[in-house]
Amino acid sequence: MSATAEHPILDPAKAQPFPVAALPVLKNSQLRKNVAHAIDVIGAKRTRVVLEKTDWQALRASASRIKDEALGNLAAYLEQFEERCTAAGGQVHWAADAADARRIILELLRAEGADEVINIKTMTSGEIQLNPFLEAAGIKAYETDLAEIILQLGEGEPSHIVVPALHVNRGQVRDIFARAMGIPNLCDEPEALTAAARSYLRQKFLTVPAAISGANFLIAETGAVAIVESEGNGRMCLTLPRTMITLVGIEKVLPRFEDLEVMLQLLARSATGERMSPYTSLWTGVTPGDGPQKFHVVLLDNGRSGILRRPKERQTLRCIRCGACMNNCPVYRQTGGHAYGSVYPGPIGAILTPQLEQLKHAQSLPYASSLCGACYEVCPVRINIPEILIDLRAQVTDQERGTAKKFFDPMYVGLRGANVIFARPWLFHAAQWLGRVGLKFFTRKDGWIHALPGVGAKWTETRDLRGLPRQTFHEWWAERAADPSHLSRKDKDAAKVGHPQVSESLGRPGAGAESDEQRADSLILPGKGAK
Amino acid sequence: MSVVADSRRLVLERIRAATGKSAPERGANADAGLAQGYIRRGELTVRARHERFIERLREYDAEVVECSPEGLPSTIAAVLAASGRRRFVAPPGIPAAWYVEAAWKIEGFECVLDHGLETSEIEQAEGVITGCFCGIAGSGTIVLHHSACEGRRVITLLPDWHLCVVRASQVVETLPEYFEKSREQAAGKEQKVELPRLVTWISGPSATADIEMTRIKGVHGPRFLNVILVRDREQAAGNREQKAGTEGLEDRAQGQ
Repeated sequence: MSATAEHPILDPAKAQPFPVAALPVLKNSQLRKNVAHAIDVIGAKRTRVVLEKTDWQALRASASRIKDEALGNLAAYLEQFEERCTAAGGQVHWAADAADARRIILELLRAEGADEVINIKTMTSGEIQLNPFLEAAGIKAYETDLAEIILQLGEGEPSHIVVPALHVNRGQVRDIFARAMGIPNLCDEPEALTAAARSYLRQKFLTVPAAISGANFLIAETGAVAIVESEGNGRMCLTLPRTMITLVGIEKVLPRFEDLEVMLQLLARSATGERMSPYTSLWTGVTPGDGPQKFHVVLLDNGRSGILRRPKERQTLRCIRCGACMNNCPVYRQTGGHAYGSVYPGPIGAILTPQLEQLKHAQSLPYASSLCGACYEVCPVRINIPEILIDLRAQVTDQERGTAKKFFDPMYVGLRGANVIFARPWLFHAAQWLGRVGLKFFTRKDGWIHALPGVGAKWTETRDLRGLPRQTFHEWWAERAADPSHLSRKDKDAAKVGHPQVSESLGRPGAGAESDEQRADSLILPGKGAK
Repeated sequence: MSVVADSRRLVLERIRAATGKSAPERGANADAGLAQGYIRRGELTVRARHERFIERLREYDAEVVECSPEGLPSTIAAVLAASGRRRFVAPPGIPAAWYVEAAWKIEGFECVLDHGLETSEIEQAEGVITGCFCGIAGSGTIVLHHSACEGRRVITLLPDWHLCVVRASQVVETLPEYFEKSREQAAGKEQKVELPRLVTWISGPSATADIEMTRIKGVHGPRFLNVILVRDREQAAGNREQKAGTEGLEDRAQGQ
């Protein structure tokens, strides 16, 4: 697609590290403009409808408690869902990993004799790379979400979880539709483009025998499935075909029917800035005479059960995929979604993808954040994303440190060196002296270092570094005590009392609180004297 | 088959190993204290609730008219006539009074009741007329439970134009009140719990903002949503009480 310089890869195993993948986007000003415009519009709408909810924080707290309850007893709730859904005429399948899920779905479609299938936005099918797999098996999958049609026809990749084609502007959409649908005189008004998509898909909806959907929520109590959408393509998919397959992550289950009253109030407001999305559908198994008469649910693990293990990381699975975190992320704003190398971009992607990959891939993602905390602030289920990012960074570091490849990495060499130096005061002082002499060469007259060679350049490429002062604090303190002539009389007295203890305490790590207090006093006094 | 059973066991084992609970532990304490502190019950007067319902429906591009119970047939006829459409479909359970007057007044009017119509026949219809289970004022939402008066899901999906008749007494203020209403209705039945099997919450016509965040009405679902709000008993009561200076909770108690 013309929107991106290179074709983005949304497979964590093959994607480039975030800083590399982000480069083409940073150079593409049109793309950045499209992204910024889209998230500004959603952001403003979201703020308006969130502010009118005076009970927003209570809803967030309730939602996170509900999800925690569901995740804490996940096996039991899934079994309950399976039992109720089966009783209502549905069939439940379990997929331990992506290959499992692909195999199950292919078998179901073969049994239906389908060589075409319609999809309603399902991120899970992107996660397991379902479409290319079906294509190879001779089954053509049609995306039905307007944004997904744009991407499918334009051979692009989604860059946002709610508005997947937000990086494509109307002119680009016109070109894609005109070419793929054979309408050369199509204009670029969004109305005309939307109408073109409507007629392009209508026939597919009426004739294709099977549909694959994702799901927003599963209800353990009733065995029901819920989907929230805007366009009606979801309703088409779950009403018209003979067979319906819902592929859903195991973390999507809610205990009770009433839990929806919390989730639905949060989801649409956070996702699109609407009070409710135009269409929210809930169905339970099979209803005679209404909708598909064969209904399958494929429960997908694919790394999720591993995320349950650590209590802190478990929060990740509360996610209801609203996209508020990416709309408010200063990093996503600049890079867009493709750089994250997964169908899950933005802050949630930065914590979800590495965990789903068990840190075998996507190790650069936990660093794709400034830790500003905006994502946590807006998250409707209160996932403390910064906390998890930091934890994952620690895990990545622990993992890397042991590998032979990273042994000679300048950062790890440096840290090992620092470990030795900081433990020995004499070495520390020597290092300070060496640093001062060495860096003098790079320090300009203004006292700043503008450029460093080698590893140091990584810092100075993007910011200046303050040159080391002429004296260390220790030296200054010792000199000051030796020559008290610059102090007032009162300060001299204080220095006499304070100094011996202070210098001792500074030399010894973990000195008592008492001497710390005195140090604080004596540090304030010179200022007073100067008045 | 054995592979399937293995996957099931494997997934459940992994989850149990991770959550540290092997026995199903559910029920009593599971529900307590999870969801709390948010607004369940609305605080508007009956009239204000209906006004908000109308305002929020209009905000999302739905057309709304109000009428009295006696005026409903002629209002329906007027709205249908104004739509310029002639071929309609309707669920079998709607009162005949809803379309008889229209049939009489509108030339070429046709209303087919859905006794298991083929999809292609429904596709031919230019519009659909239904009732609803509930209206939610806070979000301008109509809720279908797909009973005999609300129809199968497909009939409110394929036609381009949807007319929904909402009785004022069906309108609640908040989403939690809708869930309460569903649960109450379920409890009323013989079986202990029979929650709705099918629900469609509709908030305005089908829409998208996928192209440059420009909101466009009508992608795949109906492009036009029309609502007739019938001022039935509750609203009449509400008006009287408002005049008498009674507000808030009593109003609602009266209404339900």
